[in-house]
Amino acid sequence: MDRRSFISLTLVSGTTAALTGGCAVPQTSLIRFVPAEDIQPGQASWRPGVCTLCPAGCGLTVRVMDADADVVRDGITGVQRILAAKKLEGGVDHPVNRGRLCARGQAGVQATYHPDRITQPLKRSGDRGTGQYVAISWDEAMATFVRHLDAIDRRAHPPALAWFGRPDRGHRGTFIAHLLSRLGGVGPIGVDLFGDAVLRRANAMSFGRSQLPTVDLAAARHVLSLGADFLGAWNSPVAQSRGYGAMRTGRRGVRGAFVQVEARMTQTGANADEWVPVHPGTEGALALGLAHVVLQTGAFAADTAGRAGECVAGWADGLPDWTPEAVAAITGLAPGRIDRLARALIDGVPSVVLIGGPPLAHSNGLHAALAVNALNALLGAIEQPGGIYFTPQADVSAMSGLDAGDVAVAPAMSQFVAERLSAGSRPPALLVVDDSNPVFTAPPAWRLREALLRLPTIVSVGSFLDETSSLADLILPDHSYLESWVDAVPESGARTAVISLAPPVVRPLHDTRSTVDLLLEASANLAAPISWPWATHEALLAAALGTLPPSVTAGDTWTEVQERGGWWGELPAAVAQAAAATATPAPTAFTAPTFEGTPGEYPLHFLPYASTFLDGGLAHLPWLQEMPDPLTSAMWSSWLEINPATAAALGIADGDVIRVTSAHGVIEAAALLSPGIAPSIVAMPAGQGHTAFTRYASHRGANPLGILAPVTDPATGALAWAATRVRVERIGDPDGRLILFAGGTREHGDDDRPPHR
Amino acid sequence: MTPPLVTTSVQEEDTTEMPKWGMAVDLDACTGCGACVTACHAENNISTVGAEQAARGRAKHWIRVERYWEGSFPDVRLRFQPVMCQQCDSAPCEPVCPTYASHHTEDGLNAQVYNRCIGTRYCANACPYNTRFFDFFNPAWDKPLHLQLNPDVSLREVGVMEKCTFCVQRIRAGTIAAKADARELKDGDITTACVQTCPAHALVFGDLSDPDSRVSQMARAARGTALLGDLGTQPNVTYLQRQTP
Repeated sequence: MDRRSFISLTLVSGTTAALTGGCAVPQTSLIRFVPAEDIQPGQASWRPGVCTLCPAGCGLTVRVMDADADVVRDGITGVQRILAAKKLEGGVDHPVNRGRLCARGQAGVQATYHPDRITQPLKRSGDRGTGQYVAISWDEAMATFVRHLDAIDRRAHPPALAWFGRPDRGHRGTFIAHLLSRLGGVGPIGVDLFGDAVLRRANAMSFGRSQLPTVDLAAARHVLSLGADFLGAWNSPVAQSRGYGAMRTGRRGVRGAFVQVEARMTQTGANADEWVPVHPGTEGALALGLAHVVLQTGAFAADTAGRAGECVAGWADGLPDWTPEAVAAITGLAPGRIDRLARALIDGVPSVVLIGGPPLAHSNGLHAALAVNALNALLGAIEQPGGIYFTPQADVSAMSGLDAGDVAVAPAMSQFVAERLSAGSRPPALLVVDDSNPVFTAPPAWRLREALLRLPTIVSVGSFLDETSSLADLILPDHSYLESWVDAVPESGARTAVISLAPPVVRPLHDTRSTVDLLLEASANLAAPISWPWATHEALLAAALGTLPPSVTAGDTWTEVQERGGWWGELPAAVAQAAAATATPAPTAFTAPTFEGTPGEYPLHFLPYASTFLDGGLAHLPWLQEMPDPLTSAMWSSWLEINPATAAALGIADGDVIRVTSAHGVIEAAALLSPGIAPSIVAMPAGQGHTAFTRYASHRGANPLGILAPVTDPATGALAWAATRVRVERIGDPDGRLILFAGGTREHGDDDRPPHR
Repeated sequence: MTPPLVTTSVQEEDTTEMPKWGMAVDLDACTGCGACVTACHAENNISTVGAEQAARGRAKHWIRVERYWEGSFPDVRLRFQPVMCQQCDSAPCEPVCPTYASHHTEDGLNAQVYNRCIGTRYCANACPYNTRFFDFFNPAWDKPLHLQLNPDVSLREVGVMEKCTFCVQRIRAGTIAAKADARELKDGDITTACVQTCPAHALVFGDLSDPDSRVSQMARAARGTALLGDLGTQPNVTYLQRQTP
């Protein structure tokens, strides 16, 4: 112990502090370290932040107050008063969420103060996958990391370095893409099971915009959604919920109508005026049928759809084959109902059609999205009030002073697995895993875990040990998003360009390091150094935001951005992304969806869906585990939703333990009889069934992704996660594995159930 | 109409200067997302109980989202309804409490004094809304999760009944701040955690004694109803019914 830390050490033992006595009886002494910052006890302050739990990029206002943290200084355990994040609220003026947050955003503070966070750099000490690590210093960690990077051949083909990460359109993700390019690497390869690659591709083809739409729900009079869980887990849920509330109740005398088409009722579908179940994978045919009727009425001419119409085979001829009768045979809806749904779109102008989720997770998903785009264009819903907009996007590379063309290629995960991680391929020498867990979300046929076990070196920069990071040789834990400079560039949710950005809200609790700072320092320490215009994450962001004018008149942008929690306004032309002017693609025609598994052997469709935990990355937060699921009130569990008629035919009662078998695996779960699901389908929330992901999520429930077939969308390589067939059988009585807050489904109407709770 | 169960002090005293806190829930806007549930946990130091205790019915959610299924496939409907303590003017939980732990405040809140509570659970049995929760054990936070705890809200120990307070700590802090600045409280100055986060703006909080406040306007709406209103509990929460086209 040096003199300085001795002086900063005080001992308090009850009211009679005795220095020697306290040392002698450590269990009765409370060692207090002097706070490292000025703290006003009991005084709250609010600081801006950015939520990074999903790609929506909502702004935060974080309530910060003092708290006592357990710390170790020079081997002595004691208590130090720190400033801690107490409560997350939405950023008040933030254009995406305007002061509001979803349940996930509210629970995010638990990620920072999670008891199972990785607190310092770790080096693998046991066999790969055993999760055995020893703590090392940052000096050793940095030296090891630089050695791994130096060992890479930057000119190797195929590339020797690969990066797995969650999608990030902001400065951090863009910087990493540039770094990978300089190192001759590949990535960042997006780990995002329920991502919308298919819809982005379709929007690029129809409108020249490779991004998700911003929906002006507040001004719409009629909304038709094909599977999009836009109030739950899809796109920008907080912005869409605000718009939905305004659509229903915000206009005097006008209540927007809402129809949801889907085979399993989502939380969003539960709010619809009309809920329309169709056969899985036939939503594209329905969109064509609706367009057929609209064109037949003559209310809108086919050519008003422009390029979006040209992307759909048969559009210019008025889709003659897609009569309500023909579509009825495919979708299972009555012809009259199809006609009525189409006329409601015409009568309800401004009307808008959304598509997301399961319809895009079939082998024919791209066509479905293109058909919806054409239908929207026909209805005049593009860039018009009550329709869809594309949020102006900043050119983040240009803002950072980098050449937008100089980024590494980033194939789809399925493509990377096939080309680099399958048997007989040449795997990368070094893989970096960045806060993402592809081993958990990959279909078993990819054998991803086995492939990663064979890789020479894996480095993780994530905050938790999970199924993927527990395979790493070296762990360099990043700060949490409340402890770090953080930014996000929302691709949707607002009509103006938005860059969410905030300085660290609180000091790092543990011995962690900002990944961007780490990479910048490593760049300089390489044998063949890579130079960047900035030395730190903060300097990168300051330089990038310096290219923008202040939003509020006068003052400097960088100061203003840090106070407001971001920048929003009209982008200067130099840093605005233009719509891509590509040639009109060849028209796409509807094809029947393909499913893996024969109907004889596997009679039911299997639908995993994005839960509160999204694809499972948030299952470690106890507040979300204990939050009752909106449709079932289930907590801490997994379940299989099954139609009562199907259940009766299979001899399954509510809560029974069932086995779900696909051609690729077997899982067990409790049955939950639900009237909101088609008899031909069973559905299961994704997110549970972790084998190694903190004390709260491990060995809880079952992972539906573990039995998925490796069917992909041919155009984008995105996993067609709704294309698996299964068989379901009862294997036992209820065993308590399904935990319901409501204590049973008494809302179904029975009276002879146990009392509430 | 059923007469109130008890005559409350509010009706006897001069309350002209006193706010009367109330909430309105527009079921036409509520999406059932559950943001309110998590926000309430974060604000009010409600401990999670874990899977085993949750299976025994001991999970605590001061606000919950109820669901009501109607019909059967394919003509099926689902309605959500957030339910929290209705802060009744004539609260059935109050007269049954032997220690006056459950009592009525001058500003219309149905308060729970944890230090008085001896855990008879009479109040939970009397409450028709199932919004009171008993602490079957001492709360625990795996460190460092405790750093998030809100110092403005007391922790409840074993044997105590807890419930929605309309975020009384925010009401008191807002009232004191207004008084210190010598200004009147404005509509919207004080809000509860669930209302503040509600993405669809379905929840509204405010002063029912101010006829111009948003919550008052909503409470007078034609769609407004009281939950189990025929019990005579006189709730201060108004539900605006979901509309059908």
